[in-house]
Amino acid sequence: MKRKHFSKIGTYVFLSIVCLFSVFPFYFMIVGSTNMSVDIIKGRLFFGTHLFENFKTLTSTVKLGNAFWNSMRNALANTAASLLICSLAGYGFQIYREKGKDTLMGLLLLSMMVPFAALMVPLFRMFSQAKLLDTTVGFILPTISTAFLIFFFRQSAESFPLATVQAARVDGLGELGIFFRIFVPIMAPTFAAAAIVTFMAAWNNYLWPLIIMQSQESQTMPLLITGLTAGYTTDYGILMLSVTITTLPTLILFFTQQRRFVEGVLGSVK
Amino acid sequence: MKKTMCVVLALLLVVSSLAFAGGKAETAAVAADPNAPVTLTVWCWDPMFNIFAMNEAAKIYAVDHPNVKVNVVETPWNDLQQKLITSLSANATANLPDIILMQDNAIQKNVMTYPEAYVPLNGKIDLSQFAQFKVDVGTIDGKHYGVPFDNGATGTFLRRDIVEQAGLKVSDFNDITWERFIELGKIVKQKTGVAMISTVANEPDFPMLMLQSAGTWMFDESGKAFIKDNKVLKEALRITKEMVASGVCILVPDWNAYIATLNNGTVASTINGCWISGSIQAEKSQSGKWAVTNTPRFANIASSVNYSSQGGSGWMVMANSKNPDVAIDFLAKTFGGSVALYETILPASGAIATWLPAAKSPVYSTPIEFFGGQKIYEDLVNYAGKVPNVKYGVYNYEARDAIARALSEVMQGGDIDAALATAQKNVEFLMSE
Amino acid sequence: MAKTTLTKKINLFGWLFVIPAALFIFILNFYPMVSAFLLSLQSGRGNNLKFAGLKNYARLFEDEMFLTSVGNVITYLVIQVPVMLLFALVLASLLNDPKLKGRGMFRTLIFLPCATSLVSSAMIFKSFFSIDGIVNTTLIGLGVLEGPMSWLTHPVWAKFVIILTITWRWTGYNTVFYLAGLQNIDRSVYEAARIDGASASRQFTSITIPLLKPVILLTTIMSTNGTLQLFDEVRNITNGGPGIATLSISQYIYNLSFMYNPQFGYAAAVSYAILVMVAILSFVQIKVGDKR
Repeated sequence: MKRKHFSKIGTYVFLSIVCLFSVFPFYFMIVGSTNMSVDIIKGRLFFGTHLFENFKTLTSTVKLGNAFWNSMRNALANTAASLLICSLAGYGFQIYREKGKDTLMGLLLLSMMVPFAALMVPLFRMFSQAKLLDTTVGFILPTISTAFLIFFFRQSAESFPLATVQAARVDGLGELGIFFRIFVPIMAPTFAAAAIVTFMAAWNNYLWPLIIMQSQESQTMPLLITGLTAGYTTDYGILMLSVTITTLPTLILFFTQQRRFVEGVLGSVK
Repeated sequence: MKKTMCVVLALLLVVSSLAFAGGKAETAAVAADPNAPVTLTVWCWDPMFNIFAMNEAAKIYAVDHPNVKVNVVETPWNDLQQKLITSLSANATANLPDIILMQDNAIQKNVMTYPEAYVPLNGKIDLSQFAQFKVDVGTIDGKHYGVPFDNGATGTFLRRDIVEQAGLKVSDFNDITWERFIELGKIVKQKTGVAMISTVANEPDFPMLMLQSAGTWMFDESGKAFIKDNKVLKEALRITKEMVASGVCILVPDWNAYIATLNNGTVASTINGCWISGSIQAEKSQSGKWAVTNTPRFANIASSVNYSSQGGSGWMVMANSKNPDVAIDFLAKTFGGSVALYETILPASGAIATWLPAAKSPVYSTPIEFFGGQKIYEDLVNYAGKVPNVKYGVYNYEARDAIARALSEVMQGGDIDAALATAQKNVEFLMSE
Repeated sequence: MAKTTLTKKINLFGWLFVIPAALFIFILNFYPMVSAFLLSLQSGRGNNLKFAGLKNYARLFEDEMFLTSVGNVITYLVIQVPVMLLFALVLASLLNDPKLKGRGMFRTLIFLPCATSLVSSAMIFKSFFSIDGIVNTTLIGLGVLEGPMSWLTHPVWAKFVIILTITWRWTGYNTVFYLAGLQNIDRSVYEAARIDGASASRQFTSITIPLLKPVILLTTIMSTNGTLQLFDEVRNITNGGPGIATLSISQYIYNLSFMYNPQFGYAAAVSYAILVMVAILSFVQIKVGDKR
């Protein structure tokens, strides 16, 4: 009995320590937003009183609202498009499974192995010729369709019973109807999980937006952050504040949707 | 239902942004009308320094040319390089700006790789009033490409109070050699416990500074890598290592840690480009405690002088510009012709001119309280006039990185000759096609 | 007759569902890849590219920086991936206990790091390990260190910091995957083992790991892929230093394209080298996974 007790306590202690490590950087970030740059460099770990001042300096130095809105718009558009296209594909690969599609899936998986650094210049050339530079479409196009997401939806669709599909067909529902009216509602957790992952990736995307952005108006939050570190002196207070603001949406998204997220991942790992 | 609403909403967003995000309005080809509205796009970095200066220049120019607007796009240097190269390599120059700011040590590389991308300024701007070494840096094959902007002339920035506490005087640090600097540094460390100086560990700032003070570089006149048998470089590495090994110099991992050592009082001095004065003055509590002298030189190398340069950048006009003449005129009338501009940006951001007429302005000879009343700007502009000219070369970045690596090896106890031989090999590998 | 038409129509829809996504990938991924391959067969600076055959690939073997970067990345791989995955497995096992109080909270907090952007997390860890950062202050206070240690300028410790950052960021991600997989294992299997006298660790090695094989394989491949393509963390924390002790292959490609004189042909060849490595490693991992 005693042993069990200890190992129980041990478990809680261990998990608590791990959580502490996980959370500490966030604490650092938030505390940093309330302090002055000089204090942060000196290693101050407690809340200060400069939050408002930092916010004022930040908004007067950069176009914060603009960048935030750009990031939000790009991420939402990206997520919506990705969910639509990749879920259709994943569903198609699974429900209409046959050898040809399996081969195609294998081929598409290869695309995950290419480092983005290699694609940058050819992609830029293409987008420049298509006159898509500096447009929302340009920002999101390369990341709409990913083999990972398609694979994720296909795995999740494995648990979707074919009998349901056939019954729906008998009932007179068209293929698209089956997808939108039956598959989507039932697999809501999967979509939630996919939405979270895609939104996070799109929100934090750095390299491609950097290349395709051509004007100040199109700046996104990650670019804004690196912009703040580019001067001769860095104001750590506003830097931490901008990092905190950038992390907020993904944090909120995750906190509110995390149960569905786990369910969704659950559904794909069978 | 909620989910569907979200999806629908998002799709609407996509559609509407597609509708509105199509190509920006194209400016028509330049007509002969000098009063037609013109927008010049400028890419540069640092809101408190370069961008500030550019915006002030725009205001000044607008007085006589109200039809000209200047649109500054904040672009960190690394990102600017990348976007420039990506666009030029894809032959997609339509979205490049009219004017860019470029680090001095990258001008040669960029111009020689994409020579048609930049507009030569010969005869269109009077560059004779700029410090010679800055003009040379932007001159390739006799053509001038850069309008010098920010002064990188180096100085030794000292904490007078710490130095005096060790029984020394500020003037002890003027016109000295590196060996003497190390001696003095040891005295300061011994008497006050404070390290003399600091530097970023992964950067070859000291060796570069030292090389330029001797008028040499990592490449010879024919452009071949001159690293292995470079006596000045070997001496530079040796001195840097000794500074660190003796405790005179402490190593920090990055730029912000370096600034922290200045602001926290962890070190008694720093030797860097004069633009460092802005960062030094950020720590208000140290006001009155700093002073500036010139840079140490080599004892055993005849060509070495007490002056060098670090950093610095210049404005360049892009060939894809639809209004190159307006851009050139803008630069000529502001950075190359307006004393008022330099007077404005100096007190506000510490930006020191390389344009000599500006340096004659009374603003430059004001005693600066932060530096105990010393007229540091006057001194620094004087130093700028004595910096040896050096051609940074096309493969400067490759060489810099190789030297940084060699320095790292030497710090870990490696043999200097071996480290330089490896560096030479690395650079030659990258130079070979 | 009707059946054939139905099947044909259904088949058509099947392909219609799949084609948009596939098309995107073909146009935006495969086509540039082919373009990059053609680039890799050329050499020269900037836009002066001339056909050079396989010369770039031969050059790879003489390139000390390339070989060092490969060594660095393999070091990261060999240490970071097993450690992180094992850690994630242990965490998932602990979190799988239905009697554990605060499960949801623990799980959320452990996944939290994934919400940060790589730039943010890199900057935060960099400041932790700076000379007057938290780590030094704490260790000196505890008496473990005498004076501040310069973590990021040491060839070995700099790698450690990078590995730590990656592990911090991605452990939660893998934990969630394992948790999901564990939910599929019937508790009765564990019960039976417990009755038979198996210790917790024995249950872990004999039940958990074998039954989670497919998920473990998936996460191993994903992590391997990610580590081989490592860029953001290295660039933002150490920028490849000290010297080139932490340089990653992707960062070398970036340097070759944008920092040094642009050598796009050679850079393309280096990226294909990564591709080959990833492909080989994935293949090996799948085969090993299948064998047992």
